[in-house]
Amino acid sequence: MALVGDAISHSLLPGIAIVFLISNSRSTGLMVTGALGAGLVTVWLIEFIHKKTRVKPDAALGVTFTTLFSIGVILISVFADKVDLDLECVLYGEIGFIYFEDGKSIFGLEVPRPVIRMAGTLLFVTLLLVLFYKEMLVTSFDSGLATSLGIPTGWVYYGLMMVLSLVIVFSFESVGAIMVIAMLIMPSVTAALLSDRLPHILVMTVSFSSFYALSGLHLASWLNCSPAGAMVVSGFALFCMVWALSPRRGLILLGIKKYRHKKAEQFAREL
Amino acid sequence: MKTLHGNWKYFCWIGFVFVPGGDVFAAKIAELSNTQIGEQLVRFFSLRDPSVRYAIIASLLLGTCCGLLGSFIVVRKLALMGDTLSHAVLPGVALGFLWTMTKNPMAIFIGATIAGLVGTVVVHWIHTTTHIKEDSAMGLVLSGFYAIGICIFTMIQHLPTGNKAGLDKFMFGQAAALSTIDLIMIAVITTISTLLILLFYKEFLVTSFDYGFANSIGMPARFFHYLLMLLLAFSVVVALQAVGIVLVSAMLITPATTAYLLTDRMHRMLIYSSLFGMLAGVSGAFFSYLGNSLPTGPFMVVAASGLFTIALLFGNRHGIIPRWFRHADRTRRIQIENTLKAVYQIRERTQFKEDGVSLQQLGGQRNLPLVETAKEVKKLLKERYATIPKDKGGHFQQNLKLYLTPSGWENACRIVRNHRLWELYLTESAHYQPDHVHDDAEEIEHVLGEETVRQLERNLNFPIFDPHGKPIPSIIDLGESV
Amino acid sequence: MSPENSIPLEIHDLTVAYHKKPVLYGVDMEVPAGKLVGIIGPNGAGKSTLIKSIMGLVPPSSGWVKIFGETYRKNAKRVGYVPQRESVDWDFPVNVMDVVLMGRFGHIGLFKRPGRKDREIAMACLEKVHMAPYAKRQISNLSGGQQQRVFLARALAQESDLYFLDEPFAGVDAATESAIIEILTELRDRGKTLLVVHHDLTTAKSYFDMLLLLNMRKVNFGPTEKVYTYDKLQKTYGGRLTILSEIAETRTKQSSDIPLEK
Repeated sequence: MALVGDAISHSLLPGIAIVFLISNSRSTGLMVTGALGAGLVTVWLIEFIHKKTRVKPDAALGVTFTTLFSIGVILISVFADKVDLDLECVLYGEIGFIYFEDGKSIFGLEVPRPVIRMAGTLLFVTLLLVLFYKEMLVTSFDSGLATSLGIPTGWVYYGLMMVLSLVIVFSFESVGAIMVIAMLIMPSVTAALLSDRLPHILVMTVSFSSFYALSGLHLASWLNCSPAGAMVVSGFALFCMVWALSPRRGLILLGIKKYRHKKAEQFAREL
Repeated sequence: MKTLHGNWKYFCWIGFVFVPGGDVFAAKIAELSNTQIGEQLVRFFSLRDPSVRYAIIASLLLGTCCGLLGSFIVVRKLALMGDTLSHAVLPGVALGFLWTMTKNPMAIFIGATIAGLVGTVVVHWIHTTTHIKEDSAMGLVLSGFYAIGICIFTMIQHLPTGNKAGLDKFMFGQAAALSTIDLIMIAVITTISTLLILLFYKEFLVTSFDYGFANSIGMPARFFHYLLMLLLAFSVVVALQAVGIVLVSAMLITPATTAYLLTDRMHRMLIYSSLFGMLAGVSGAFFSYLGNSLPTGPFMVVAASGLFTIALLFGNRHGIIPRWFRHADRTRRIQIENTLKAVYQIRERTQFKEDGVSLQQLGGQRNLPLVETAKEVKKLLKERYATIPKDKGGHFQQNLKLYLTPSGWENACRIVRNHRLWELYLTESAHYQPDHVHDDAEEIEHVLGEETVRQLERNLNFPIFDPHGKPIPSIIDLGESV
Repeated sequence: MSPENSIPLEIHDLTVAYHKKPVLYGVDMEVPAGKLVGIIGPNGAGKSTLIKSIMGLVPPSSGWVKIFGETYRKNAKRVGYVPQRESVDWDFPVNVMDVVLMGRFGHIGLFKRPGRKDREIAMACLEKVHMAPYAKRQISNLSGGQQQRVFLARALAQESDLYFLDEPFAGVDAATESAIIEILTELRDRGKTLLVVHHDLTTAKSYFDMLLLLNMRKVNFGPTEKVYTYDKLQKTYGGRLTILSEIAETRTKQSSDIPLEK
């Protein structure tokens, strides 16, 4: 499932491009519409291809998102004069420019619009998570059980994908299409190395993500490189550290145990 | 009937999206290039421009190479490995760039290959040492490596000596910008891949199909797995400049998946897949040639996806539309056979004294309203299974009756016989209760072949009556016309 | 190395661990030639792992295995293998003949293609399992029993002296089951040695000459009439011997067989 996020993040491009082409504006509402539409089409196409034919889900996913992404790139490059979308921004994201966007004043503070949008999304997603926590838990763990409990698994799945599209579209301008996937899976995978309980994992992901953001921005200003890239790099570094040092399943611990086991075996053989 | 509507809607939808889109595109592209499409076509295919020549040769070679290797990764369910590899090579490209500070193809090639291989090894490592699933591991490596690459690249761009031109080409590819060395490298990699696949076809086949078995016969299965990964890394790296990082995986997956829909044999899949790859490559190169600064990769991918869509819809074996037609055909045949059976049952009630059957009787037997019954009767008439006599003026008679033709009667007897034989088989040999067998027989009667019927008869000792005491029409009945 | 003098399979102190969790502990055994051996044990007893580690598919953490007195690699050609049916993707683009020909790959050598003789052998093996009419059929269009027969034909095409079969009777119809056991006994009568992972206690007694009772370690190994006792089975299944439920399962399996499949 992890790569569905990657697929959606690529496939949103044509949705956004088409919305720009038709409306010629950058309003939030239209962006959301385009993103939701594209997200739905992606998920539906993947399901359609692998359910109706013998094509395996991974190939179906690969075919779908590359096709949609290509259509998006073609639209943007052919109608470059009409579509005010920077391909570079799509690929690398430019969180550094957010400050220069026109802002809105809240309590006398000048807050850039993207920040407001993201804050809104955060609130919305948190609200959904609180409301539907147990439904999501059951559906993710055992969709058969969920169906027998009367939870509409199809709706939950498509709903999740819609929310995912929503989150991704707002992350677009900050981290770009490709690195969104890192922000989606890195915190949770890192947390999963440290704990088995979903509530703990959820809390950890929040703190990890904030760590990525802060350390990434510092790293970027230090190395003078892309902030989005630096954020993901710091996330990857954190993962590698946890992977090596985790007290439960860490590589180093594993190595030590293996070594001790071997020693003990040798000892046993000598006896 | 529902499926019919669904399908037409689907068709219209495709038409809506693609047809107007195509027009707009063509107009737009022509406008950009300020020349006629026809003229461009001639220029493109006469190979006058050296850059066009390069682009075409490169696309043909890459199509072959990606098609061959892609087939193996698709059947191994490693489709997303190509994507992971292509993103994971970015730091290697950047470091290769940093090493020489020029776009030295050799340095970039070495750096990229190493980075790609490290990426695949890390995926494997994460997967085996933790409980993280393989797809999550791929996502991690894909985005993590890519981000490292992006960081190094942006650092280079901010260096006083850095040149900004390099990066974009790697993102979406520009087949027309390939240099001679690039082309030579593509040719070498394609030749090596093709040769190795030809030489080790049976080894690649058996390790892909059944890894454990391959090992058990003493084949170094792990070696062949890593050989495939190495070739994959090579081909991804050389394809980068033509197709671009984001879309290389499509050139690996899409033609191979298209071929997978069309054939059931691995060697044919390899051939089809490389043909589709070449076709997609050349059309992509052509379309990007039409515009001034259009990237090649996306056009290649869209061309490949177009082929995939055609195969998905019309493919002989697994295509959706042929399959739908087959299904519709079967449904129609079952309907006809049910009507024939109904005629038989009506006639049976009068001990076959009455030949004709009225529409009302038929509707009653099949439990259908009169209009629907008429539709069913029309199907019988069309197949010449039944006739409705007309009077001298060519009009239907007052209370019209349906008479089965000899072939119609034969089919009716056959279906009833299948039904009753199966019921008898279920009660006699499988010990079902007589009141539990009807529904099963309703389905089986349409699929029993001649061969099986003969066998059933033999097993049941040529029975005369079904479990409900009704006579089973015999072969002699089949021959007897009305 | 003359095959007559050496023991087909010799295992010494074989221990296997997955993620540092032991699955098999110190298994010792010697299998004499010309025996049909059943490997019996509860779920998770390490039956498949034993076979896989003998063939080097799962690296053992200690101990060694000898096949006809040599390492596995050296004598791989003399070993035939039937993996579990679910271990492969049956949508793979090959037909029945292609799969059976794979059994010849160990004999063909590098760079070479299967020749006419290999095809003849493969066809003869298909005949033996009554699958010759299906030679050109794509493998996804086969029933479970037919798939198992194809795998058996592939093993026959290997023309080996020692065979490992991993759950060959799982999910097949009664007709296939008896066809398979007939072929296995015939191979045994020709002096081949066969090790079969089996989960059905009720049939184990009649099928096999020898039994290996396995539950993470060797509980017992010997001639069926000596090993198949209540005490020893009890020991293998750790007091939760479930013959009754096994019998019930077999009965439902037999009554739900598709009657028309030959």
